[in-house]
Amino acid sequence: MSTISTQNVSPAPRNASEAAAAKPSWLSTHQHQLVLPSLFLLALLVFAAFAPDFYSVDNQLNVSRQAVYLMLVSLAQFVVLVGGGIDLSVGTVVALSSISAAMTMSGIYQDGSGSASWAIAAGTLVALVVGAVVGLVNGLGTACLRIPSFMMTLGMSSVVFGIALLLSAGVPIYGVPPEFGEIFGYGSFLGLPMPVVVALLMIVLVYVLLEWSRYGRHLYAIGGNARAAMLSGVRTRRVTIIAFVLSGMLSALSGVLLTARLGTGESTVGSTFPLESIAACVIAGASLMGGTGRTLAVVAGTFLIVMVQNGMNLMQIGAYAQTMVVGALLILAMSFSRK
Amino acid sequence: MAAQCAPEGLIAGAALADGAQPVLSIRGLAKRYGSHWALKPVDLDFFPGQVHILFGENGAGKSTLISMLAGALAPTEGTISIASFSGGFGSVNEARERGVRAVFQEFSLVPNLGVAENIVLGNEALTSFGLLDKPAARKEARELIRQLGFDLDETALVADLARGKQQMVEICKAVRAVPKVLILDEPTASLSTHDTRALFDLIRRIKAEGTAIIYITHRMEEIPALGDVVTVLRDGQMIAQVPAKTEESRLIELMSGRKVSDLYPQPRSELGKVRFCLDSLSTTDGSVRNVSLRVREGEIVGVAGLVGCGKSELGQACFGLIPHASGSLTIDDRAARFSHPADAIAAGLWYSPADRKRDGLALGRPAQENMLMSALNFGKLQGFFLRRSQEREMTAWQSGKVEFPWKRTKEAVSNFSGGNQQKIMLAKSLGQEVNVYIFDEPTVGVDVGARQAIYRYLHDLTADGAAVILISSDLPELLGLSNRIVVMHAGKVSGEFERADFDQHRVLEQFF
Repeated sequence: MSTISTQNVSPAPRNASEAAAAKPSWLSTHQHQLVLPSLFLLALLVFAAFAPDFYSVDNQLNVSRQAVYLMLVSLAQFVVLVGGGIDLSVGTVVALSSISAAMTMSGIYQDGSGSASWAIAAGTLVALVVGAVVGLVNGLGTACLRIPSFMMTLGMSSVVFGIALLLSAGVPIYGVPPEFGEIFGYGSFLGLPMPVVVALLMIVLVYVLLEWSRYGRHLYAIGGNARAAMLSGVRTRRVTIIAFVLSGMLSALSGVLLTARLGTGESTVGSTFPLESIAACVIAGASLMGGTGRTLAVVAGTFLIVMVQNGMNLMQIGAYAQTMVVGALLILAMSFSRK
Repeated sequence: MAAQCAPEGLIAGAALADGAQPVLSIRGLAKRYGSHWALKPVDLDFFPGQVHILFGENGAGKSTLISMLAGALAPTEGTISIASFSGGFGSVNEARERGVRAVFQEFSLVPNLGVAENIVLGNEALTSFGLLDKPAARKEARELIRQLGFDLDETALVADLARGKQQMVEICKAVRAVPKVLILDEPTASLSTHDTRALFDLIRRIKAEGTAIIYITHRMEEIPALGDVVTVLRDGQMIAQVPAKTEESRLIELMSGRKVSDLYPQPRSELGKVRFCLDSLSTTDGSVRNVSLRVREGEIVGVAGLVGCGKSELGQACFGLIPHASGSLTIDDRAARFSHPADAIAAGLWYSPADRKRDGLALGRPAQENMLMSALNFGKLQGFFLRRSQEREMTAWQSGKVEFPWKRTKEAVSNFSGGNQQKIMLAKSLGQEVNVYIFDEPTVGVDVGARQAIYRYLHDLTADGAAVILISSDLPELLGLSNRIVVMHAGKVSGEFERADFDQHRVLEQFF
């Protein structure tokens, strides 16, 4: 027995084999990109069969109005996820900002004896500052004390919820100026509902920041490999802290708009937001490991979740069952997505 | 037998294998992804007591081949025959049961377990009550490590070990029961000289016991030292099978499909002013002690030494990653002390880390974003907003400099072979203007073709007036490229050689 096998080479392209060696089938490399469109399609088909009202113009406007609050929180979550973190405090930041906005406004407005516009401006500002401070603490804990963001924000979520309950004594805060709801809850601007206008502005802001600015590039780099980014001269701590501050402020903005819609400050709003916002991002292809995902996909992911909830309402499925569906949707999306 | 005609009379394995029966044979073994052949059908025989070297550039199909042999990858077609079995292995476990063990570059160790626990993992000794017999496991591991002559503590936690030591644990695992076929994928890439010697002794011993060894390496000097027969792969095809004593230049020619002139460009002889001046630096952790180093414009200074001698830490300390206890650094006559890499880069110093996966690249992001990771802060692309068209121009230029396929800069880094990933790392260093470069192991795990490109790139840097510090465990590379070599031992400089006095043995003596 002898082994002499010598073959002549065919002039194959050099890089072809290298590319091939790393590339499994098209479906398996792209399946995470197919999650969102296929779920969308599935939802649309189900509603066409069981809830034809879903397609009415009124209802579509309704969906986009409902989507605003989760949209802002999903954007908040997304900014942190891109940098390789997670923010579980988004829900209670919404609650605390609602309480602090309402308290500030009612304190200044004094049932009509104070200026409504001054009350609205000050209340909004206070809520945003509160959100920013919570984000700053999250960021400092994560970036400087190296506490995993999961634990840091879970802990902060409890702290923040406690503050909201203490401030409000667990009851709704009344006394916000009626103009607040008239403009920011139910008003419209250029034919679009005011909350939708605010959400659109924030979508543009996050999109430009993440995909067209140096800051965004650095955030993706940190999510991709934080140590490599640091060794390339990226100020990783600063970038991470800013991400958490942005997350806190976007969540707070959601809380302000919710307060306008409800007419009261509530410590119970937002409790479902952490799960729903993570689901929206993951369905959109953001990885929990960081460094991936597109802003516009997250917008679509948020729409999907709100649509499913709206469709289930039309199909007269109860709130308890809906909670189940959102959880199941998240798990389903995870099974197809990049881990 | 697949004896096809040999175009250049490369009659080789024949003499070695006379009369013996192969322990492992493959016939028509191939792997295809879609329309791409990662490995076209290949016939090979592996004989007991033979060290069979697989040689080829990154992406030539070596990894695909051994992955199939180890059961980690299912073949598209063809058969693997060992003893009475014939077919494809369904799993790594099946391959193991049939006597094929592999040590890959990606380790299969559990970091949070100890060395001994890892060695016996999956086959633990039990007491008569069915509980873990921990002392027995430790004893077995200690015995095995002693037999192998490795420098390894069986009680240490794997997570605490350096890469080279982890490699040894992996080898211990593989040879715990002597396999019929042992596959080693670049085992010496991260081993110290001492441990490399111990590994070679081990290979010779199990070879004498009749194990067939399949060995992948990029280090040319290991081929004649260790091998019996060399199979050369290129573009997913078997090109030739030649004796291990074949001339180096011939092997490189077969591998790359082109003539190879001198591997190392000659260092520049005219040097300018001193750009980098380090005065008696000591770090607080004691890894670097009282080291002084001067590097001039156009000069390449090599830093050599064993793993753990402090050469890598020296680079990190200069870049501000390890706190200084004493000493001073000046770059272009300006005092420099950095608390963050951003300060160092701004002062004109670049550091390219050794472990590209851990410290160098965001694997999931496109090559382009990686190349520009620092350019956005320090280079021509500074500014709040991104400028996509200028980014494309910049990466095309960077790619040209390091000979990277620029049309593929939109692909994620993880799609590329080791050589191309390393080129992305080097391209990063071109993102901004700096005058002093520190490269830590720039060619580790890189094939000869990419290596040449990297050497040309280093040479080009010096031609532009840069000062280069080249930290490397590859002594031939240092001897070929450097104007001067500094040897480190136990954190201190133990020897310094001018190019005129380069002598491999005298340099090596200073290692110990």
